[in-house]
Amino acid sequence: MQTIQTAFVYIVIAIFFSCNSKEKNKESAKGEYSKIETIQQNPELEKSIHRGNSVYNDFCVQCHLPNGKGTEGIFPPLDGADWLVEKRTESIHAVKYGQKGEIVVNGVTYNNMMPPMGLTDREVADVMNYIMNSWSNTQDNMVTVDEVKAIKK
Amino acid sequence: MKTKILPLFLIVFFISCAQQKENDVEIQPEERSYEFETVFAEVDIPWGLAWLPDGSMLVGDKSGEVTLVKEDTSTSITTGFDDLYVRGQGGLLDIQPHPDYANNGWIYFTYASSQGEGEGGNTKLVRTKLEGTNFTNTEELYKATPNTTAGVHFGSRIVFDKEGYVYFTIGDRGNNEENPQDITRDGGKTYRLHDDGRIPEDNPFVNEENAKKAIFTYGHRNQQGIDKHPETGEIWSHEHGPKGGDEINIHKKGANYGWPVITYGVNYSGTVITEETHKPGMEQPVYYWLPSIAPSGMTFVTGDKYPEWKGHLLVGALKFQYLELVKLDGEKVVGRQKIAVDIGRLRTVKMGPDDYIYMGVEGKGIVKIIPN
Repeated sequence: MQTIQTAFVYIVIAIFFSCNSKEKNKESAKGEYSKIETIQQNPELEKSIHRGNSVYNDFCVQCHLPNGKGTEGIFPPLDGADWLVEKRTESIHAVKYGQKGEIVVNGVTYNNMMPPMGLTDREVADVMNYIMNSWSNTQDNMVTVDEVKAIKK
Repeated sequence: MKTKILPLFLIVFFISCAQQKENDVEIQPEERSYEFETVFAEVDIPWGLAWLPDGSMLVGDKSGEVTLVKEDTSTSITTGFDDLYVRGQGGLLDIQPHPDYANNGWIYFTYASSQGEGEGGNTKLVRTKLEGTNFTNTEELYKATPNTTAGVHFGSRIVFDKEGYVYFTIGDRGNNEENPQDITRDGGKTYRLHDDGRIPEDNPFVNEENAKKAIFTYGHRNQQGIDKHPETGEIWSHEHGPKGGDEINIHKKGANYGWPVITYGVNYSGTVITEETHKPGMEQPVYYWLPSIAPSGMTFVTGDKYPEWKGHLLVGALKFQYLELVKLDGEKVVGRQKIAVDIGRLRTVKMGPDDYIYMGVEGKGIVKIIPN
């Protein structure tokens, strides 16, 4: 009897762990904004993040994935990316005009190209706000349409 | 007792997740017996690639630039495609000269177009003629509707069959709820036309009320590779699945390939689209990839430069950055082999008129595979 019970527990644990990654993905797809309190204090940012979530799912998710982790060496991560924090202007530039050539993100070199997505300045701002406030990322300083507009090729 | 429980634990662990394919044809590592030569580098996203009878090469960049490369000289061609819509996966897509180009001079293009009502774009097929450094006499043959601002799933590839019909693909435009299963709507379809754009009288849905009569097959997601089988003449294509479930299909007139009612994939987020993988009246793929390789570009290997690959299929794996050789026995996949590992994001692969394989690689250009 003891053995059967133990076996049952093991099976439950096995099922839970083997599909756990799937469950996690489900969560992030809904838009797992990290600092809810900060965002709620700024309704404009909240709206922008919400719109940015749709832009992300249409233009970015295929490569950067729902969890924002990308694929090491091929598609750089957005979750926890030092590039997003340290190179804000370059990040906006990359989303607005595409990115080509070598970049280093979290110590890993990437040398691919991201085509220009053809987004409006507003969509660029929205998706930047989404990315900068999703997963483990937080950024109180909202990206505005004017900030995007000011960044030239 | 523990020794009996551990194997049970492992078995349950490995079978309880759906994103594993049982009894798959295992992919073999690369055995490099060839070299690569970049023949043209002045292109960012080489989507369209084709040759004219004099051996000159037409290279299309998704951004809209077209270059004619002849030996060591390259000439920029003015397309005049003023309605080109470059957004997300949309832009200048495939290029295919008419099989009788030498006599009629027609070159076919698909591209995302903003023409017509509504904000956004949808896929368009045109034919045009090259005169000097311009395309002229451009004729619109098909324009899908409605325009939308969705950034995904424009398709598109073009191929001619043995009878001279032109086939082209349009993806579901991200609207899988409405488009792929509805023959009165564009998107998620392969289309067949006469070379001048007329609808063939024996197209499968010509007698269906309100149907888009150019449709040849439906229930597709996003087909970015197509070719004519060198022996049977059948039209083969592949399509991107969502997460998992990329497929190779053979086109049968009027057939439904099932998206999104049946699929081997799940949403990017991991959520389930459908539990169904089979249904009566819906075609099963020749092969499906799980996990996805994100297939782009496709050609059968012909000629005598690569005797061991001849008759098999080459498919670019955007996601894993290699070229995959899919070995066939008739309509069955019997082997898989990696080629050009770490080459980069491979957009297109074609057999050149010199029987060499040419790959279009993002950020690198056109790369030729030369056997040692």
